[in-house]
Amino acid sequence: MNNYILSKKLKTNELSTFYSFLFGLLIAFFIGSIILFLQSNNPLEVFSLMIKLSVGSLNSLSNSLNKAIPLILAGLGISIINSVKLWNIGAEGQIFMGAIALNLVYINVTIGNSNLFIFILLISGFLGGSFCILLPALAKTLFGVNEIITTLLTNYIVFGLTIYLVNGVWKDPNSLNFPAAAYIDKSVYLPIVTSKLSSGFLICILFTFIAYYLKEKSVFGYELRIAGGSELTALYAGIKSKQVAFIAMLIGGGFAGLAGAIELLSQTHRVSTGLSQGFGYTAIIVAAITGMRPIGIFLVGILFGALTIGGSVIQTIGVSSYLAEIIQASTLFGALIIQFFFNYEIKKVEND
Amino acid sequence: MIDLQFLGLLNATLQAATLLFIAALGELISEKAGILNLGVEGMISIGAVTGFITAINTENIVLAAIVGVLSASIFSSIHGFITVILKQDQTVSGLILTILGISLSSMIGKSYVGKKLEVKIYKFGGANEPNSVLEVLLSQNLIFYLSIILLIIVSFIFNKTLFGKRIEAIGEDLKASNSMGLNINKTQFVATCVGGAFAGLSGIFLTLSYVPYWTDGMTAGRGWIALALVIFGGWKPLRTAFGALLFGFLEALGPRLQTYGFEISPYLIKITPYVITIIVLVVLTILKKGNTGAPKNIGVPFFKENR
Repeated sequence: MNNYILSKKLKTNELSTFYSFLFGLLIAFFIGSIILFLQSNNPLEVFSLMIKLSVGSLNSLSNSLNKAIPLILAGLGISIINSVKLWNIGAEGQIFMGAIALNLVYINVTIGNSNLFIFILLISGFLGGSFCILLPALAKTLFGVNEIITTLLTNYIVFGLTIYLVNGVWKDPNSLNFPAAAYIDKSVYLPIVTSKLSSGFLICILFTFIAYYLKEKSVFGYELRIAGGSELTALYAGIKSKQVAFIAMLIGGGFAGLAGAIELLSQTHRVSTGLSQGFGYTAIIVAAITGMRPIGIFLVGILFGALTIGGSVIQTIGVSSYLAEIIQASTLFGALIIQFFFNYEIKKVEND
Repeated sequence: MIDLQFLGLLNATLQAATLLFIAALGELISEKAGILNLGVEGMISIGAVTGFITAINTENIVLAAIVGVLSASIFSSIHGFITVILKQDQTVSGLILTILGISLSSMIGKSYVGKKLEVKIYKFGGANEPNSVLEVLLSQNLIFYLSIILLIIVSFIFNKTLFGKRIEAIGEDLKASNSMGLNINKTQFVATCVGGAFAGLSGIFLTLSYVPYWTDGMTAGRGWIALALVIFGGWKPLRTAFGALLFGFLEALGPRLQTYGFEISPYLIKITPYVITIIVLVVLTILKKGNTGAPKNIGVPFFKENR
């Protein structure tokens, strides 16, 4: 009798993640087309409109790149933390916390030199993100508490804190009934590069390389990989796994916090509940789909930023903006399916 | 004479607990078989919206319940397919299930936001306000009693039956259960779908009784609290039920604190269940010195070659 078993391939194609992503994208657009078709829209029409309005002009392209900034930064943070095989589901909260920390410093500190002030505000955002993940990181390293659930729950805590602040102590009396903090001064806006493109995108490029260096080239990156591997190996190599994991979590949280700071300084210009629209969750897809590679996160972040912009503009013709989210999530599902065929083979074995 | 405020608190506690417990019990079954499903939030969402839409259009509550449970279960089979059949990462797949579930349900529920439900799940005890603890206990809706029955059945299966022990064996030791001749893939797949069905039931309770209306993001992290509850309960149904009562109490207590004379912002009260969940998880892990009672093979894919 013949029997079939599944076995993991010893060697997988180096580009398998990339191919899986492309196939995943194809599957996702197919699913998107079906949904549009069921809602009696012409998929081709909708998709071409999405492309036109997200990358068709310099203006819309800058919008897409701006939208990519938080996705990329939070995604990079998630990938750094994942180097030690830990998950950060709390990027959404860290983005808000970055903005909250920035506003806290902005209200209490005055610095004449606006460039220096912007720099300090960005650092406060980074630290805010680190602070946000501090409790889950301590709980994980000291007691081994599952970080997936604690980081996720902090999202709800920080979001609740944001609602509290913008309805209470920080509420701008000039915003009428809309709950939001006061606008920051124009002097600390992040400068525009060209068209609508924020210089936050340049910071984003810089941090992509920092994350790449940190993960792939530095001694710390080596320690991260060892710490994420077997406990014994780390012990032999003299690496304090827990310490390394703790630092990785703080850095990763900081990346997401920085994303919140840039979003505030370049887009919303104030703290409100609409500061992040699920960027921290989309960033998880971006990071996972690229196999946690910084350069990949940068590229897919841009694509997903454009998709998000495309998704928001098709609302004008009555198509739900959730289409973009569904396409993003389906891409990862599609990629996971294709990845299977790269990683495994089905072997026929003779059975007695 | 018992304080009416206290009775109100008790009533709200039971309802909040029911919602959390059913979803947690489903996740427990799935995790016992070794499949971690982080998609609870998405599955509740799908069950909630499909059940609500069916109830609005047909005014048939039984049909709505069936549709909600089935659609959440079918939706969870995506996770089963990706992780059990294709052996992919359970964390990633579950997370995406949550994101997909929330966006998909927001999309299909868009034109139902704000609509009023004309039918409700059958509630015992009639329309009179309950006057004693016993009356509160006897005047809950059908799903509350169903959740108790489910608790008894699931406890019985895991504690007393060979079938339950086999599921447990798969979560604990893949190699041994394979050599015992158990059908691991089938068991894990079915367990995932049963977990989805439970989450769907919890979703129906949310939109057809607890709230009852539909709006975006109304699951509000309850799926994640359900996941925490499984850890809290040490993968034991009865302890999970007590956990659900505790968390339900906290959720019910929040908005009432001010009536008891505490000067706390209602916005801050809303975050207390999440803060307390984290504290409880930390304390519990310390008390058990890291040994939480988790099935050993959670998240580990099964290959026949492993023998």
